[in-house]
Amino acid sequence: MYLDETKTILIDVLSLGENGRHLDADSPLLGALPELDSMAVIGLIAALEEHFDIAIDDDDISASTFASLGSLADFVAAKRAA
Amino acid sequence: MNAAAALPADAFFLNNNGARRFCLYHPPAGICRGAVLYVHPFAEEMNRSRRMAALQARALAAAGFGVLQIDLLGCGDSGGDFGEARWDLWKQDLALGAHWLRQRVDGPFVLWGLRLGALLALDYARDARHPVDAMLLWQPVLKGAQHLTQFLRLRLAGVLLAEGDNSIHGGTQGLREALQAGQALEIAGYELAPQLAATLEALALDTLAPACRVDWLETVSAPGQDAAPGAARAAAAWQEAGVDVRLHTVQCAPFWATSEITENVTWLDTSLAALQERLHEH
Repeated sequence: MYLDETKTILIDVLSLGENGRHLDADSPLLGALPELDSMAVIGLIAALEEHFDIAIDDDDISASTFASLGSLADFVAAKRAA
Repeated sequence: MNAAAALPADAFFLNNNGARRFCLYHPPAGICRGAVLYVHPFAEEMNRSRRMAALQARALAAAGFGVLQIDLLGCGDSGGDFGEARWDLWKQDLALGAHWLRQRVDGPFVLWGLRLGALLALDYARDARHPVDAMLLWQPVLKGAQHLTQFLRLRLAGVLLAEGDNSIHGGTQGLREALQAGQALEIAGYELAPQLAATLEALALDTLAPACRVDWLETVSAPGQDAAPGAARAAAAWQEAGVDVRLHTVQCAPFWATSEITENVTWLDTSLAALQERLHEH
């Protein structure tokens, strides 16, 4: 249920525009999207924290969280449920 | 919005005890409706939002507001290093800007702040010499501590994505401890003083309820969506406390954080209309 909102935030923050519309849950992110460098990840985390009203700890941040759009949306869902 | 009717902005320096603050003044076109002082956000968010701030300043000026944009100590084109910046010195800069503006522009006095600038505006308004009649808040930071964490993470960007235990690097907690021990930190090209970090740590929007009327804009990711839960809660708490606050949502990318420069006309139009409606009521 968080997939669409997570996708919109990803598109907005990384300024992906039309290219981002084709992303789905299986789309790989880290290593696949050139826009998603380490600084962009930090910006994305901040946007997710504020949009979903969640607090993300250092320990929550790992490459596997950002592996795909689906893994990122699952992470948001888990944080919302916590 | 009719930016074409706006007069060109005047660029100049205001003198603050020998130190220079860069200012842009947008004179009002036509009948003067009031004065607006812009309070910019912090670090990279300031740079990324420069375009939207300029567009809004021009739109407000075209609608009859005299708008002053002042670069605070250590920011933008003003004197001083970021490492010298302190919360109270920034409030002094705002007082300087407000004084200059009030000498030139009559009518209601409006503070307009973005992100951390919104918190600075709220804190400043509490004991401002020139009474504030209305505030325009753009996506205010709700908790200074969270904002500080987000800033500190910039220094850890490479490390946090490496697989393994993030705590072995000390993480944001380690950086906080260094600040608390009185050490300044270099973060993304900005020297963060421990004094400024300590002030940010303690800031919270819910303790800064203003006495004046407030229009608060929040971005949403789809039309008709509710504001983010944290913002909605904070605005509701203010309403319960008797603050005359209106929360407006606009489908808009978070332009202070986007990789590329973002423009959003609806956001600008909503801000102008909200302010005009407010001031018309009184």
